[in-house]
Amino acid sequence: MSELLAVENLEKYFPVTRGLIFQKEIAQVKAVDGVNFTLNAGETLGVVGESGCGKSTMARCIARLLEPTGGKIVFNGQDITHLGRKEMRPIRRDMMMVFQDPYASLNARKRVGSIIAEPLEVHNIGSDADRKRRVQELLEIVGLSPEHYNRFPHEFSGGQRQRIGIARALSINPKLIICDEPVSALDVSVQAQILNLLKDLQRDFDLTYIFIAHDLNVVRHVSDRVMVMYLGKPVETGSRAELYASPKHPYSGALLSAVPIADPKLGRARKQIVLEGDVPSPINPPAACRFHPRCPRFVDGKCNVDEPLLTRVPGATDHDFACHFPLERWPMGDDELRHEGAFAQEATPAGSFD
Amino acid sequence: MALLEVQDLNTRFKTDDGVVQAVSGVSFDLERGKTLGVVGESGSGKSVTFLTVMGLLDPRHAEMTGSVRFDNQEILGLNTSQLRPIRGERIGMIFQDPMTSLNPVKKIGWQLEEAVLIHNDVPRSEARRRAIEVLEEVEIPKADTRIDDYAHQFSGGMRQRVMIAMALINQPELLIADEPTTALDVTTQAQILRLMEKLQNEHGMAIVMITHDLGVVAELADDVIVMYGGRIVESAQVDDLFAKPEMPYTWGLLGSLPRVDVDVERLEQIPGQPPSLLRPPKGCAFNPRCAYTFDRCREELPELRPAEGKSDHEFRCHLEEADRARIWTEKQAAMAASAESAA
Amino acid sequence: MSQFLIRRTFWAFFLFLAASIITYVLFFVIPSDPAALAAGKASTPEIVAHIRMELHLNLPIYQQYWLFVWNLVRHGSFGYSFVNGVPVRTYLAQEIPVTASVVFGGVVLYLAIAIPTGVISALRPRSIMDRTGMVFVLFGISAPSVWVGVMLYYLVGFRLGWTPINGYCGILPTHAAGTCGGLWPWADHLILPWITLAIGSAALYTRLIRANVMETMSEDYVRTARAKGASSSRVLIQHVLRNSMLQVVTILGMDLGLLLGGVLFIEFVFGLPGLGQQLLQANGRFDLPVIVGITMFACLSVIVFNFLVDVLYAWLDPRIRLA
Repeated sequence: MSELLAVENLEKYFPVTRGLIFQKEIAQVKAVDGVNFTLNAGETLGVVGESGCGKSTMARCIARLLEPTGGKIVFNGQDITHLGRKEMRPIRRDMMMVFQDPYASLNARKRVGSIIAEPLEVHNIGSDADRKRRVQELLEIVGLSPEHYNRFPHEFSGGQRQRIGIARALSINPKLIICDEPVSALDVSVQAQILNLLKDLQRDFDLTYIFIAHDLNVVRHVSDRVMVMYLGKPVETGSRAELYASPKHPYSGALLSAVPIADPKLGRARKQIVLEGDVPSPINPPAACRFHPRCPRFVDGKCNVDEPLLTRVPGATDHDFACHFPLERWPMGDDELRHEGAFAQEATPAGSFD
Repeated sequence: MALLEVQDLNTRFKTDDGVVQAVSGVSFDLERGKTLGVVGESGSGKSVTFLTVMGLLDPRHAEMTGSVRFDNQEILGLNTSQLRPIRGERIGMIFQDPMTSLNPVKKIGWQLEEAVLIHNDVPRSEARRRAIEVLEEVEIPKADTRIDDYAHQFSGGMRQRVMIAMALINQPELLIADEPTTALDVTTQAQILRLMEKLQNEHGMAIVMITHDLGVVAELADDVIVMYGGRIVESAQVDDLFAKPEMPYTWGLLGSLPRVDVDVERLEQIPGQPPSLLRPPKGCAFNPRCAYTFDRCREELPELRPAEGKSDHEFRCHLEEADRARIWTEKQAAMAASAESAA
Repeated sequence: MSQFLIRRTFWAFFLFLAASIITYVLFFVIPSDPAALAAGKASTPEIVAHIRMELHLNLPIYQQYWLFVWNLVRHGSFGYSFVNGVPVRTYLAQEIPVTASVVFGGVVLYLAIAIPTGVISALRPRSIMDRTGMVFVLFGISAPSVWVGVMLYYLVGFRLGWTPINGYCGILPTHAAGTCGGLWPWADHLILPWITLAIGSAALYTRLIRANVMETMSEDYVRTARAKGASSSRVLIQHVLRNSMLQVVTILGMDLGLLLGGVLFIEFVFGLPGLGQQLLQANGRFDLPVIVGITMFACLSVIVFNFLVDVLYAWLDPRIRLA
């Protein structure tokens, strides 16, 4: 498998200015602060995190909708970090995005056929007749009818609109599709359709995905590898199997245990790590380890002084974490807890997750 | 006698495009201190049902029939002043988006005090004292200073706590929560759910938890009703619902959920989308999407009937017990096999 | 907040300066010879040249402008009329009260119509009340104020003789010959102008208020207030009106600023010696100082009212105040 995308120390800082007449920069919002990962062709990287973690900003940097303020993005062997619009154009044929809001991401005034054909038009591919044929083909591939060519977006449901968005992304045969929360706005029964569709398309068209979501259930289902982000930094990355079976970073553990399980017996039996407080603002992140104010395993003098770096789990092939005191086992034992009050229930631990 | 008894509730909206039958024939009971989970997707009627119960729909646009008895008093059809002793005092309600549900130009302290003063003839200082007390109860730090802040100065999770505080300040017997955590991050959601559980234990109030998230229901509810197309399609105690669901929509819902603790190769998907309430399908509302549909389903609406051996587990489907049991066993086996192959 | 105010003040000042410069430049782009006009038909070129020098018209534009600014800052003077040497300040002092009376009276009248109508229409959409209100709105918006003014002038003033049809009376009583004063004569002369002004604006504001109130009533926090058990009147007054009036206040402020620049048509039809009338005359005679003076006042009023509106809005909406 060849490496399709390599991201090195990606940084995106937004300036915060103040001033009467002349704007002076007084602080920075460090939305993305040092992201590293590689992605092989045909893989799916799931990126998970809560609001303010920088996952959407990172996606936009990779798609070069924003210009990174630091670091490097190498796509298909080419450094695209600071390329201008003209130079990015041919590269954009290989990189497409699918967005979260199926109602806002389609131009309500254009017909569906025109929306899907737009990337073809932009890149001057094929004649009008060719494009029409291709669009009808795509409509079938995503499970819509070719007769929908002349309809408007408002005539479709949320799930159908998302299919249209996917058809649009597929139209020029990209290598990489970045999906930014593609199913969050959909009904539960429709989510499964779209997730299955994405998986099928990946198999049929040899696609690579970056799949961003806040829902760990969904991420588990679609990803080969997962990256957990917190306040602009990755705190844990690894293969899906390893990360979900034994998370090492306390935040990953908290995320996993916070997800409600659709099984009342299992749900009652497990121990939840419930974090205190809210996600802090990326303008003024906590010192050293960004998670330390909320961490149930916080050790004063270490976690707020030395910033933990990503280290490999001993013996693992693909599992890194950034923590001085990683979880020793999963589910977390009582003895591993150092903060009072971080546990929700004192139930007897049942079987682990996997 | 149950705290809340709803019988044959129907809500119809007159719109320019026609009549929308949002809620049809909904009946359920809620006992004191229990939690009822109400599960459904868009168009299921889950929110409209409780807006009807609370009398929050405009009677000029909505036609509501049936019976809603709260503590043995009929409250359907009462006007605002008649409902005053109940709304905000004996029944509290919180909504999905705390940012838009709080008045942006009034301090939250003012809004909390308003909740007290509407129902109690006490001086403002007493109302303020109660407001601070309830803010502390919902774990808002520095409540005595934050009481003078505005809604936009709080984070999403904090705002929802303020909403909960406002709904609970008069110690209601029933709290209706309409998708209270949908707009929140997952760790914040865990905090809010834990808070709601704690408050329920302390105050002994009943909770209605309206959500589309079966995981939340599994965690919090004692009883569950599943709604589809404006009707209840299944109702049961929570353990029974997840152990042996009795109709295809519930099967589909459970099967289509990706799980954080189980790997499957392919999710079960329900084809199509939720029905239009303007032109609902004839017969069973789910039949266009159902894999097990047959002629009768397209003609005749199934009645709610009890499951074999379980009088408190009701469902709405024409399939016979033998078929349903077989299909469910097959599904479970398929899920287990899929889980194995994915592992 | 103070930063916000300081920045706004800077901008106000800057805009004022820019407006004055543009007026000056525009004036000089138009080919004209105010000196010749001021001198009169029977004058010799020497007289004209002399007048030109007196009025500083022989100086380059920027010098004339500088003189103007200096005069303004040092003496608080807008200069003197080219036509008769009267200080522009005097004209302003006479005419501002007239225009202000028309405008403020008209505003009070149209708000008194628009607010109740708009609110009731919003509370009872599609009722008889609402539909009649909307017909009235349609009429008010479509009928040009000039036509309305002339109609009222003719029918009520001339035909029926119910009100005087010309001239202005000061609000304070006076016994000087040739003038009139007192509260009743003041209002009597202004009632028709007020109605003329109000009809068009009341229509616009009714529509605006109706839309705003309807939108606010469908907001989530109004639903929360009902869920708390609030009575309909409490919901209306405490939650709906306060929030829906925010936008109205903004637009009202801007309108006031603009109107004070001179409600030209109304002053013309009803013979009121206000800023609009004066501006018309001065334009015809190329009386630059007067034109500049009135234009400056109009700009000032727009800038001041916009500033006040910004401040008021920030005070009313804590999201802006505390950002």
